[in-house]
Amino acid sequence: MSVTKGKDNKPEPIAYSEAALRNNAVVVEYCRTSMAALSGSTAGVLGLTGLYGFAFYVFAVVSLWVMFMLKTGPNWHKYYISRQSLLTNGFFGALFTYVLFWTFIYGMVHVY
Amino acid sequence: MVELLLDPNIRLWVFLPIVIITFLVGIVRHYVSIILSSQKKIELIQVQDSQVMIRARLLRENGKYLPRQSFAMRRHWFNNEETGYFKVQKRAATSQNPMTDPGMMTDMLKGNVTNVLPMIVIGGWINWMFSGFLTTKVPFPLTLRFKPMLQRGVELTHLDASWVSSASWYFLNVFGLRTIYALVLGENNAADQSKIMQEQMSGAAMAMPPDPKAAFKAEWEALEITEHKWALANVEADLLTTEK
Amino acid sequence: MSYNYEELSFDEARDLLRQWRESNERRSEEVVELWLTILSDGLDKIGNEKHVLLEQVIFAALDCHCYSVANNCIAILSNEFPGSLRVKRYQAARLEAEEKYTEAVMLLDKIVRADETNSAVYKRMIAIRKARGEIKQAIEDLVDYLKKFISDVEAWQELCELYLQMQDYSRAAYCAEELILHQPHNHLMHQRLADIRYTMGGIENMELAKSYYCQALKLNPDNMRALLGLFLTTNNLLNHYKSSGNSSKRKEVWKLCQWAQSQATKRQQAARAAPAAPGLSQMMLALAITE
Repeated sequence: MSVTKGKDNKPEPIAYSEAALRNNAVVVEYCRTSMAALSGSTAGVLGLTGLYGFAFYVFAVVSLWVMFMLKTGPNWHKYYISRQSLLTNGFFGALFTYVLFWTFIYGMVHVY
Repeated sequence: MVELLLDPNIRLWVFLPIVIITFLVGIVRHYVSIILSSQKKIELIQVQDSQVMIRARLLRENGKYLPRQSFAMRRHWFNNEETGYFKVQKRAATSQNPMTDPGMMTDMLKGNVTNVLPMIVIGGWINWMFSGFLTTKVPFPLTLRFKPMLQRGVELTHLDASWVSSASWYFLNVFGLRTIYALVLGENNAADQSKIMQEQMSGAAMAMPPDPKAAFKAEWEALEITEHKWALANVEADLLTTEK
Repeated sequence: MSYNYEELSFDEARDLLRQWRESNERRSEEVVELWLTILSDGLDKIGNEKHVLLEQVIFAALDCHCYSVANNCIAILSNEFPGSLRVKRYQAARLEAEEKYTEAVMLLDKIVRADETNSAVYKRMIAIRKARGEIKQAIEDLVDYLKKFISDVEAWQELCELYLQMQDYSRAAYCAEELILHQPHNHLMHQRLADIRYTMGGIENMELAKSYYCQALKLNPDNMRALLGLFLTTNNLLNHYKSSGNSSKRKEVWKLCQWAQSQATKRQQAARAAPAAPGLSQMMLALAITE
């Protein structure tokens, strides 16, 4: 995780460094794509079907979020503006990757 | 519904090759477009316009940090009826026709060569080479609506909707691999053709240089209605209360 | 942080240079030394990074006046990219470093004619004017330049400095305000404007200086210069209000003045207390022994 911070920690108007925010977003996106690919492959190997697969995706997203939180610790507001958006952003974009990998590995292992 | 049994050879010679081909083609396209990309020649006047726009926007956003007089002075410089920058500068309304500008035309051609052409050629080739195979099954049930999407090239009415044909598998890959390209090639890569296609659809106006006349007008209006609110009015009191 | 440059391996040296390049460190002597001792032999091994690295070495060498090193690097690049404007800029920079200003300007002129949106070249020309001591022309050129690139922060900053040199404070203040527009969260910008306003004098300017010093302190409570500036400004205002008899304002300013003073004293005490433990005195002692 990149070490970046907002410029000042005074109470009222908090100023964020835009470059740092963008960098963090890129890193998070990277993690999320990797997570989607990995968990998709896992679901495929395990042979999950139907709702179980989607539940597994939700589980993966939430556990990634928990990992982010563990990594940032109590100072999360130094790195992100909001925790919720970290959880929800790119949910469906990564879902597409997940489904692709899920289908791919499932097809490789279980269909034939 | 009876479970279908697929020949494992299909996996080895159809299913896997499509994934690999799509992926490699994306990477090759990335590098080809790097080779073909030309440095865009920018006009001085264009640079000037964009810089003026940035300054006007900053004035609107951060003008509150300036004393009222300084703010008014700058706004006057932009908006004054007789001599204001936005009033004086007459830009030709550039409703540029791309056909009249040869440089633009080659750019468009290059864009097509790297984006649309491979899509058609590879797509067509895969359609011809691997036509009529059922390749895989999505691991979740789908409604009949998805049949034309997922079973292109296989017209069987009684087939379950979750089976995927080879041509559809190719398209699924094209759209699904874009995040993987971002992972492999870094951000802003050219392999991501679906994004480019979206841009083309959402409006060619985005790619064109924005019409400075209209932009000036809009910025003029925005500046005109901006009220100056001196942000440092209470700064002394803040300082005294927050820092003991 | 010191390295033994002789012992670095090729890859380590390259990584070190990359690190300096990305963090914009000015370590020209080290760069040239690393280049001469380690990197220059294996130029082909570097790959993609080669050209950026050469650029870094060129500027470092010019900084140390190692013209032969710079010439070699420029020769390598111009062999590879004949007619490139960027390489021409290096040549101009070399001429400039050797103080052959007329030739440098001629070369820069050529570049501008080929590419009139090249802002770095305009800036070099203005820098040459400044180096020659032609401050007035430099200001004129810079104003011209700003007409074209109106939101170039560096240029506004430079213009501010030049006006300050000419003691044209109201214009310098204008430039400083422009800097605040572009970077409203940088406390140094606020402090600079406050400095200028304080120097200009007069009640209104003093009031403004007070506000901006406060803002600078709010953004960065450790800004000692702003604190002292605030103290001076409030003192000044206090004197004025005393004579004009505006009691409510006087009270306010007096409070602020007291606050600034107490803060400054606190800082001073903290600063005095801190180094007493390990720092300066022990170092002095060590020096005394060796002598």
